[in-house]
Amino acid sequence: MSASSDQQKIEITLPNRLGYERIAMASAESYAKMLGLAPERIEDLKTIVAEAAINAMQHGNKQRPDAWVKVSMTVTDKEIVITVMDQGEGFSAFLPDPDIDRIVNEQDPPVGFGTFLIRQLADQVKIDKTADGASIVQMTIKL
Amino acid sequence: MQDVNEIKLETRDAVTIMDIKGDVTAFSEPFLNDAYQSASAQGAAKILLKFDSNAYINSGGIAVLIQVLAQTRKNDQVIGITGISEHFKKIFHMVGITKFAQIYDSLNDALAKMA
Repeated sequence: MSASSDQQKIEITLPNRLGYERIAMASAESYAKMLGLAPERIEDLKTIVAEAAINAMQHGNKQRPDAWVKVSMTVTDKEIVITVMDQGEGFSAFLPDPDIDRIVNEQDPPVGFGTFLIRQLADQVKIDKTADGASIVQMTIKL
Repeated sequence: MQDVNEIKLETRDAVTIMDIKGDVTAFSEPFLNDAYQSASAQGAAKILLKFDSNAYINSGGIAVLIQVLAQTRKNDQVIGITGISEHFKKIFHMVGITKFAQIYDSLNDALAKMA
């Protein structure tokens, strides 16, 4: 983890293993507390950080054990900006919203909840790609 | 870093409580399925999923829970949820879990209303 005091930027590199998203969640929680974010929004922030990291591990990096996921957080006077980058072939869009009725009736697979939660809980979400094809998910939470 | 859940089954007032210790993620699938199958084999008609109040539940865990909901629907069982934080009450509502499982504020409240 590194922080630049002038920019108040945090960067974390996670191994591409499910479970390590908790490291990013804990950092996001500490960061948001320092910034005075309301408790319920801190929980939202933890969830979107975790789900974006999981998405990067599973869909971006295709579960490759040698890959990494980079999570960065910066703050302006109006918002926290969280960026999650994978090393994978990338994905151009999130999955469509899950339809729980169809899932419970076994007409659809139980997928898409993570990206659904990101869209629901973040104030803004953008997906971009690097020149070498990795995905960058940028999410904002208003202060 | 794989999660391990300890799930105890207890029947009170005709309600089978699945007391789930630990975080609920994709790694929880075998633990939740085994506990659910055991409860069903014991003839459970009403099942209450009791979570740790500080449990971390992610999208993988939500998918596992919804698969359990699908099984309870097939088997005509009533299912309730208790113990989760306000944040996860909101999440469960957003995802639609509350269409299939009632969330109760406390174990006693759940038992009083489900029994």
